[in-house]
Amino acid sequence: MERRSGREDRRPAPAAALDRPRRGTLVAHVVGFCRLLRRRGLSVGAAEAADALRALHAVDLADRREAYLALRAVLASSPDAQRIFDAAFWEYWMPPTGDEQPADGRAPGETAADGQQALDRALLDWEEAGEAAADGESMPAYSPVEVLTRKDFSTFSADELDEITAVVFAIARRVATRLSRRTRAARRGHLVDLRRTIRHSLRRGGEILEILRRERKITKTRVVLLCDVSGSMDLYSRFLIQFVYALQHAVGRVETFVFSTGLSEVTGSLARTDLRAALDEVARQVPDWSGGTKIGRSLRAFLDRHAGALDHRTVAIIISDGWDTGDAEVLEEAMAELRRRAGRVIWLNPLLASPGYEPICQGMRVALPHVDVFAPAHNLESLRRLERYLARTS
Amino acid sequence: MHPEIARIHELLARGGYIADRTIATSVYLSIALRKPLLIEGAAGVGKTEVAKVMARALETDLIRLQCYEGLDATTALYEWNYQKQLLHIRLMEGSDRPVAEREAEIFSEAFLLKRPLLDAITRAQAPVLLVDEIDRADEEFEAFLLEVLSDFQVSIPEIGTVAATTVPYVVLTSNRTRELGDALRRRCLYLWIDYPTFDKELEIVQRKVPGIDAHLAEQISAFMQLVRRVRLEKTPGVAETLDWSAALIALHREHLDRAAVEETLGVLFKHQDDAAAVRGQWLDGILDGIRTLEGAGRPWNGEAVARIADRLQPRR
Repeated sequence: MERRSGREDRRPAPAAALDRPRRGTLVAHVVGFCRLLRRRGLSVGAAEAADALRALHAVDLADRREAYLALRAVLASSPDAQRIFDAAFWEYWMPPTGDEQPADGRAPGETAADGQQALDRALLDWEEAGEAAADGESMPAYSPVEVLTRKDFSTFSADELDEITAVVFAIARRVATRLSRRTRAARRGHLVDLRRTIRHSLRRGGEILEILRRERKITKTRVVLLCDVSGSMDLYSRFLIQFVYALQHAVGRVETFVFSTGLSEVTGSLARTDLRAALDEVARQVPDWSGGTKIGRSLRAFLDRHAGALDHRTVAIIISDGWDTGDAEVLEEAMAELRRRAGRVIWLNPLLASPGYEPICQGMRVALPHVDVFAPAHNLESLRRLERYLARTS
Repeated sequence: MHPEIARIHELLARGGYIADRTIATSVYLSIALRKPLLIEGAAGVGKTEVAKVMARALETDLIRLQCYEGLDATTALYEWNYQKQLLHIRLMEGSDRPVAEREAEIFSEAFLLKRPLLDAITRAQAPVLLVDEIDRADEEFEAFLLEVLSDFQVSIPEIGTVAATTVPYVVLTSNRTRELGDALRRRCLYLWIDYPTFDKELEIVQRKVPGIDAHLAEQISAFMQLVRRVRLEKTPGVAETLDWSAALIALHREHLDRAAVEETLGVLFKHQDDAAAVRGQWLDGILDGIRTLEGAGRPWNGEAVARIADRLQPRR
């Protein structure tokens, strides 16, 4: 494709010039860019940064569009990630000058194909589209379930409770009945085991007298849930407890603890069949519901008092925002021990999805190195993802 | 542009596939970096086609693994040829060789059926392996695939470990019916293919439906842009656009009006509900939009069509 002129010439020199690749600076810039993406929530690590460099060396670096496409292919691995990438790319590689933003997520250069005229048209189009949307003439049609799925837990009203519970139950049931790809020999399995059948027949001169069968294994995941019910989690914990309740009923091998300043086991309370009654009982049983948080001390209490709850096939799930008012050292030690004794440690943080959130509070910072999965848990979609993590452990 | 990207661009165009630079660059990088290419996008935007072009660019074979729910290792990797084994047992009937020896014989490589994954790593020349619609297979299979793709060896209990003779070029496609795992995403280069823009679709219609009236082609392409804004069970893709164009020509329709659309609605929508929703709820608005475009003069451009589409239903 021809090099574009005109528009490119009007551009002020980019701060981090992609056009003038000196080896040392290019590496530094790519690493810096990767860090920015990471801060924005993309899973970009050292391996991805290395791939990004390899990709840049494989393409024509003088061609800005090509460099952009190459970086995006390597560093953004979903449509959402691509949107974040686009914004970050413009910010990092080119200082904003007003007319650089692509109109609708189009890659830079595409709108400039026929010069100034097209650009003006695109901008006009973009502005008008923005106005039309602001008018609110027409409402986009979403199904109620979808709205619920994306809606932040903290904004739920009581009426929506039943619908939420239904969706959560569906997720939990899927967790419970997951079939493994592995199979095992079984008298009445529904898969025919041809390999063993043939082998067996050899002993009878190749006569197949018996058809041997297999069935798919059902994998059972053992789960220990540690749920923060302190004041800073108040908006979320009631809904998360519901998820926990549903999960416990579906999986059957869940042990549940709640903590704020101290630790209480609520497995028994949540085993009641009626959710509301169960919630009431949990609230009664936990004296400091919505108090301050001592995560470290609570975890330590769990490790000491419930040693049998953990083994290498157990998934330990901590649901907390990490605002620890206790001693950071206690927390770090407890996390390290938990990591050693459990098969997998998942930390669900409802704040993780908030724009601009970074795990900077002290509790989160010391805990993070001992966590296998650090994921958001602010809406149903994020809980669905949790299901995947559970599936992978066994 | 890098000369190799230009070549792939050219190949895409020659294959009747109206390429853009994004696709050409991704295909090139996947080859240059030897990383699998994960292609996502709605059904009918031509994801599978990209793998075919890649094979053509590399002048190598394409091996396709179609995924579906319940797909398991025996279908994807290898299976014993049971008929051949049974025949062989019959032939050996008279012999007095020990059972263990006979067993070893029928579980040897000669009786092995290579399925796509094993086939792809044991060729003399590295092929392109297309893992189509990976989202339809379950997550267990995804993990298994990841294992094969990172180790490039397969262990068969009766034979032992079979190491790859060549590392294939891998293309995976997904219609996003389910979220794929992060591990898989991180291993791959990523390419998102959207429905074509108005200009691109117009070019496709003109190229693939020779002899179509230029104005009808514009009307059809604009109609598609508008109808894709509507929330449907199955949004029509490029394949539907082409089928519909052919149907309209067969019925000697020279321009788009209510009668012409209603007559051919079945070609465009595969779900009865979709056809009913469009006929009852949206058709007037869409035809209205096309009339507005008519008033603005020709040729039509993508920006104008997008503006009309936003009026019908803002982009979600």
